Amino acid sequence: MLETENELHKKFWEIFSKQDRQKIDEFKNHMDKFAINFNLYKDGNFIERSLPFDVVPRIISKQEFSKIEKGLQQRVQALNMFLEDLYTDAKIVKEGIVPQEFVEQASGYLKEFKGFSPSKKIRTHINGIDLVKDTKNDEWVILEDNLRVPSGSSYPLSIRDTYRKIYPDFFEQLKIEPIKQYPSYIKGAMNHVNCGGINVVLTPGRFNSAYYEHSYLAQEMDAQLVRAHELEVIDKKVYFKNYNGKRIRVGSIYRRLDDEFIDPKFFNPESLIGVPGIVEAYLAGNVALMNAIGNGVADDKGIYYFVPKMIKYYLGEEPILQNAPTYLPYFKEDMEYVFNNIEKLVIKDVAEAGGYGVLFGHEMSKLQLEDLKVAIKANPRRFIAQELIEFYDEKCYLDKELKDRKADFRAYVVMGEDIKVWQCGLTRYALEAGNYLVNSSQGGGFKDTWVMEL
Amino acid sequence: MEQLLTANVATNLYWLGRYIERTEGTLTQIMVAFDQIIDVNKNAGVELYENFSTELAYDSAQDFLNKAMFGDHSANLTAITGYARENAIISRNHLNAQAFGEIIALHALFQKSSNDLIEIDYKLIDNAHSLISEMWGEISKTEYKRISDYFLRLGQLVEKADFNFRFDENKETGIVIIEEIHKILQSLDEDKVVKVEQKQTQELDYEAIINDIHQRIESLIVN
Repeated sequence: MLETENELHKKFWEIFSKQDRQKIDEFKNHMDKFAINFNLYKDGNFIERSLPFDVVPRIISKQEFSKIEKGLQQRVQALNMFLEDLYTDAKIVKEGIVPQEFVEQASGYLKEFKGFSPSKKIRTHINGIDLVKDTKNDEWVILEDNLRVPSGSSYPLSIRDTYRKIYPDFFEQLKIEPIKQYPSYIKGAMNHVNCGGINVVLTPGRFNSAYYEHSYLAQEMDAQLVRAHELEVIDKKVYFKNYNGKRIRVGSIYRRLDDEFIDPKFFNPESLIGVPGIVEAYLAGNVALMNAIGNGVADDKGIYYFVPKMIKYYLGEEPILQNAPTYLPYFKEDMEYVFNNIEKLVIKDVAEAGGYGVLFGHEMSKLQLEDLKVAIKANPRRFIAQELIEFYDEKCYLDKELKDRKADFRAYVVMGEDIKVWQCGLTRYALEAGNYLVNSSQGGGFKDTWVMEL
Repeated sequence: MEQLLTANVATNLYWLGRYIERTEGTLTQIMVAFDQIIDVNKNAGVELYENFSTELAYDSAQDFLNKAMFGDHSANLTAITGYARENAIISRNHLNAQAFGEIIALHALFQKSSNDLIEIDYKLIDNAHSLISEMWGEISKTEYKRISDYFLRLGQLVEKADFNFRFDENKETGIVIIEEIHKILQSLDEDKVVKVEQKQTQELDYEAIINDIHQRIESLIVN
C-alpha cells in the first residue's frame, strides 16, 4: 500500500512541478473573490476571513480509503444504534456495557427525550469523524466523532471546484474520485426522513462562522436557507414563511445550531436563533431534524471510549478502525495510569470542542501538571487522557516553499437509506510547525483530499 | 416561476439590485462631470452632488474623482458597494455564483483603491463598469425566469427610475422603466394589478409614482 501511495504522490509532483507558480496566486484570488469564508470572533469582534488553504492536496489511495470507508460505515451504524437504544430501551446500559452514571453525566444526554424515536430511527444523519494516520503503524486512528453539527464539507467542495478550473491537468491525467455528489447525499438523507414538506437548512444567521457553508449547501441541495423567524410552528407542524406571506409545510430540517439553542420554549429561553415550538413538532413526528436532538451524548469524549465496545455489542464485529489509546480517570486503574504518565499524555476536557480544552502533558510545567491532577481527581468524569499519536505531517506550500505540517482528516458520513462515505473530506493542517492542533477555530488551514487510484 | 424565497432574501435581492444600479449610475454621472470639470464647467461636480444632497468641494478634476468616489458622504462608493456585498452574502444561495463573485470583486476593487495612495483614474471606473456589466450579464443568462431574478431586476429598475427622476432625464425612458416595474410587480403578486395609463404621460407626477411603487414593494414582501 505504501508503494502505491508513493507512486500516487510521484504522479502528483510530476504534474505540479510543471505548473506555473503564479497560478497559486490566481487560486487565492479565486477563493477570495467567491468569499469562501470561515469567520471568527476574536475579543468580541466579528472577523470575516477566508479560511487559510493550501494547494497541495492530501492523497489517499483508493485501496486505503476503502478500508477507512468500511470502518466508518461500521462505526456510524453502531453509533446510531447506540443512540436509538440509549433513548429507548437502554439495553447497553442495563447490560453494563456503558455505565449508567457515565451516560447520565454526559452533558449531551437529554433525558427529556427518552422514549422518543425519530423518523426512520435515524439519528446520525450527517457525521464528521476525525482521524489521523499514525506514523508508528501506518494505521488510521479515530480521534473524535462529531455527531451534532459537524461543519467543513463546503470547503473541500469549493477548493476542488477552483482546482479543476485552474489546474485541469491533474483531473485529466490522474484518476481522482469525483466529489460533487456530497450535497446530493444530504439531500437524499433529508428526503428519506422527511415527514411531509420541503427541506430547509436552519442557520443562526449571517454572522455565524460557517454561514458560507450553510448558504453553499442549501443552494447545492436545493433547500431553503432559513433563519429561525422564517419558520413558524402551528399545531405542532413547522411552516416556511414565503416572502408573500404564504405558509409552506416543512418536512425536514438540516439544523446548523446546537440543541441548546434550537427551541427557546424547550431549551434556553434566551435563544434568539431557535424556533419556538419546533421540539413539540419534532416529538409529534411532524418534522425530521438532522441531526437528531440528544446526539451530543455520543460525541462526548468520554463516551468515545466505549465506541469499540458498541461495535462489538450491536454488530458482533471487531472494529475496523481503532480509537486512539484512551484512559478514563473515572476508572480507578486508568486514573493511576494517567497520574503516573501525565507528562506524556494528552488530556481533554470532555465538554469542550473545536480544539479547546486540549492539554499536552509534555508542554506543561510541573506545577501545571499538579494542578491538573487536582482538577482530574475532583471531577474524573470531566476528563479523558490519550496517548499522544505521532501522526503524519503533510507537505504544505506555505510562504513559497514546501513545509511539513501536522494534519488530520475529517471524513463525512451520511446516513439515509444507506450509509455513504464521501470520497473526500476536510484535511486540516496546523499553521505552525510541530503544532498538533489543526482545528479551523484554532487558526488551522485546510486542503483538498484526493482519493486516487493508479 | 415557482420559487420559494424568504422575505429577508427577497429584500436583500431587491436592495442588491438598487445598490449595484446606484453604483453604476453614479459612476456614469461622475465621468460626465469629470469631463466637464476639465475645461467646460468647473462647477459640474458641485451641481451633480447637489442631486445627492451632498456638498462637494474640490480643487481639480482629479480631486473631484477622489472626493466623489471615496469622500465622506452618503454617495461614497466603497460604502454603497459594501452594502451590496452584504446583500449578496445574505442572498448568495439564490444568486448566480459568477455574479456573486463580481460583486465581491467590485467592493474589493473600491476598498483597495480608497486605501491606496495611488491616484484614481478612468481605468478604475472602467474596471468597475466591466464588473457590473459582467454581473448583469451573468444574471441575464437565466432570462429573468426566477422570482429571485425579478426582485433583483425590480431593485435595478426602481433605482433607474429614481435616477431618472433625480436628474430630470428623458421622460419617455422614465415611463418605459415604470411600466416595466409594474409588469414585474404584477408578476410577483397577481392580486395587485397596477396599470399606468398612457394618457398620464404628459403630466406625470414622478415623485408620487415612485412613492407608490415603494409602498407596493413594501406590501409585496410580508415580513
